[in-house]
Amino acid sequence: MLSSNTRTKALHWLGKQLSNQNNPASWLDPLLSEINPMLVQAYTPARVQQVIRETEDTKTFVLKPAGRWQGFEAGQHVNICTDVEGVRRTRTFSLSSSPRLWKAQGEITLTIKRLPGGLVTNWMHDHLETGDVIGLGEAFGDFLIPEPARPVLYIAGGSGITPVLSQLETMAARDYNAPVTLLYFVRTENDVIAGEKLRALAARYPALTLTIIATHETPDPRFLTGSDLDGIPGLKGRQVYLCGPKGLMDLANNLLSERGIREDQIHSTFFAPPAPARLEGDTGGNVTFTNSDVQVSSEGDANLLEIAEAAGLTPQYGCRMGICHQCSCRKTSGTVINRLTGEVSGPGEENVQLCISVPQGPVSVDV
Amino acid sequence: MKKLNETQLQELEQDLDAIRDDVLADLGERDAQYIRRMVRLHRTLEIGGRVLMPFGFIPPVFVAATASLGVAKILENMEIGHNVMHGQYDWMNDPNLHSQTYEWDTVCSGDSWRRTHNYEHHTYTNIIGKDRDYGYAVLRLSDDEKWKPWHALQFINYVLLTVLFQWGVGLHELETEKLHRREIRWRDKLPFLKEFARKGGRQAFKDYVFFPLLTLPVAPIVLAGNISANLIRNLWSSTVIFCGHFTQDAETFTEEECEGESKGHWYLRQLSGSSNFTGGRWLHILSGHLSYQIEHHVFPDLPAHRYPEISERVQAVCRKHGIHYNTGSFFKQYGTVLKRIGQYSLPDRMRLRLERANAPQAI
Repeated sequence: MLSSNTRTKALHWLGKQLSNQNNPASWLDPLLSEINPMLVQAYTPARVQQVIRETEDTKTFVLKPAGRWQGFEAGQHVNICTDVEGVRRTRTFSLSSSPRLWKAQGEITLTIKRLPGGLVTNWMHDHLETGDVIGLGEAFGDFLIPEPARPVLYIAGGSGITPVLSQLETMAARDYNAPVTLLYFVRTENDVIAGEKLRALAARYPALTLTIIATHETPDPRFLTGSDLDGIPGLKGRQVYLCGPKGLMDLANNLLSERGIREDQIHSTFFAPPAPARLEGDTGGNVTFTNSDVQVSSEGDANLLEIAEAAGLTPQYGCRMGICHQCSCRKTSGTVINRLTGEVSGPGEENVQLCISVPQGPVSVDV
Repeated sequence: MKKLNETQLQELEQDLDAIRDDVLADLGERDAQYIRRMVRLHRTLEIGGRVLMPFGFIPPVFVAATASLGVAKILENMEIGHNVMHGQYDWMNDPNLHSQTYEWDTVCSGDSWRRTHNYEHHTYTNIIGKDRDYGYAVLRLSDDEKWKPWHALQFINYVLLTVLFQWGVGLHELETEKLHRREIRWRDKLPFLKEFARKGGRQAFKDYVFFPLLTLPVAPIVLAGNISANLIRNLWSSTVIFCGHFTQDAETFTEEECEGESKGHWYLRQLSGSSNFTGGRWLHILSGHLSYQIEHHVFPDLPAHRYPEISERVQAVCRKHGIHYNTGSFFKQYGTVLKRIGQYSLPDRMRLRLERANAPQAI
C-alpha cells in the first residue's frame, strides 16, 4: 500500500505530464470558476457571507474559506487575491476575528479601510458583495499573543486595530489572566472601528483597560504623549504591541525606549499606505536578487538586467529592448520605472521586464 | 526593402508606438475575459475529445473526437500558448498565463521556444543566416542561399516538415546545420537534448501511451485518434506559420543592412518581412491571429485578439510611408508559399529563365 504522500506525489507527477502545468490541480480552474468559484484550486477560494459597514470608510467582510484552508492564530494576516479590471492583485490584511469564530462556524473577518487612491481597497468597498468569491492565502505573521500570559500594552492607530480586535476577543474568551491595556488612536470619534465591540469587551473582560483617543477633534492635534504611558501600571513589565500609521509607531518607539522598554518587548506590524511614487528624478537603489541571494546597489538609469549582469548573474534575456519578454521575471517588492513608457510600477508583487525596468529605491526580484 | 532615411524611420517609429500606446492604455477586463474564454473552450474541447475517443469504434464519433482534440491542440498552441509565451497577458499577473513559466501542449519545450522563437526569430526576423526560422535549415527560400543539388528535392523536406512539424520545432534548437558545419559540437547540445527528451517523452507518453493504455480494449482506436489529432495540428500550424514569412512578397535581409539598426528600422523590417491572410473570425482565432502576422511582428506582446482592431491603423501607417502591406486570401498566400518552395528548389539560372518566360510582356 502506498503512503498517501507517495500517492499525492505520483498524482501530481501524472497531472504535470498530462496538463503541462506546474500546478496541475488548477488546469480545470477556468471551467470550474464558471460552475462554482468555490471549486477553484489555484488559491483557496473564500465566499463573502456578509459585509458590515463599520465607519464612513471602513467595512468588515465576513468570509467563509473553502475547507482546505489551514486556519490562523490571533494577530496573523493573510494575502487575498482578486482580479481588478483583468489584473490579479494581491494584498495583505490582518484578520480581525478570533480563531474561535473560524473553529465554530468556519468564518473569518477582514476589516478594511478605504485607502485614498488604493486600487484594491476601493474596489473591495465598491464592488465586493455578499456571495462573491475572492482568493485567500494561508495565514502568516508573528504578531502573536504572549504565551504564557504576561501583561500587555496595545498601541493601535486607525485600521491598525484589526489584529488587536482578533487578539482581544481571543484573550477575553479564554480569560487571559494578566492586565491588558489598549490605547486606540483615531482621527475623530466617527473613525472608531468596532467601537461597540470594544466597549462590550471591556465591560465583560475586567482585565482590559480601554482608552480611545481622538487626535483631531481639537484645533491642536492630540497625539500619543509620555503621560499616556506613564499612567499605565507596570509599564516596564509589559509586552508592547504596535500597529498603526508610521508616525504613531515612530512616536511610540521613541517614548517607549525613553522609558526603558527593551526592543525585544516591542512587537510591531506596519499599516501605512504606500508612499506616493515620485515621477522622474531619483533612480537607482539597492537591488536584491532573491533566488541568487545577491544584493547590490545601483545608481542612475541602469536597468535591472544590467545591474544583475554587473553583479555576475546571468538571468535569461533576449532582445534587450523590451520586445521579447525573455527576461520577464517576478518583482517581489519595490518600485521600478519602465524605461520605455516612463511608467512607475506599484510597490507590490508583479511581473517586470528586467531590460527596461529601472529601480527607484530598494527593489527585490526573483532572479 | 523600401528605403527610408533616419528622419523617416523615426517618424515610422513614432507612428507605430502611438498605436501600441493606445492599446496598452486600454488593456483590461475585455482582454482578460477573451483569453479566459479561449482557455475554457480549449479545456472543453480537450475533455470532449478525450472522453469521446474510446467510443471511436463508431466512425462519426471517431471523426468528432479527433476533430475536437485536434482543434483543442490548435487552439492551445496558437491562440493560447504562443501568445501567452510572448508576454501578451503578463500584465494580468496570473501565474497560469505567465510568459516565462507557461508550458504548452507540443513537443518543443516552452524554454526552447522562448529562446528560438521569441528572441531569435522576432529579433532577427528574415535576416538570412541569423533568423533560423527562415526555411528551418531544410528549405531554400531565397537566392541569398547558394543552390545545392539536394535543394531539387526540397519539396519532400517540406512534406516531412509539415507532417512532423511538432518534432521539427522541438528539434529546431539542435542547430543541425551548425553541427554539420562543425561550428558546434554534439556535447554542447547535451543540455538541450536532455530537455528535448524530457518534453518530447512527456508528449509521447501522454498521447501514445497513457491514454491508449487507459482504455486498453480500444487502445488502437485511441492511439490512431491521438496521432490524427496531432497530425491535424501539425499540418495547420505549419501552414499558418509558412504563410507568415515565406509568401512571394515577404522580403529577406542581410546581416550588413541590419547592423546597429534603430527601432524604426526594426519596425520597417517587421512590416516588410511578414505577410497576412484574410478570412473569417474563426480562421483568425485558429491561426492564433498569426493571420495578422504583420501586426504580430510589429507588436508581438500585444494581446493577439487586438490585431484585427488595429490592422486598419497599421495599414494607414504603411500607406503613409509607402511600405507594401502584404496580404491576400488564405489560399492565394498559401499558393505563393508552395510556388516559392518550388521555385527555389531550382538552380538560379533555370529559375530566372522560367520567371522571365512567365513575366507579363512589356507593352
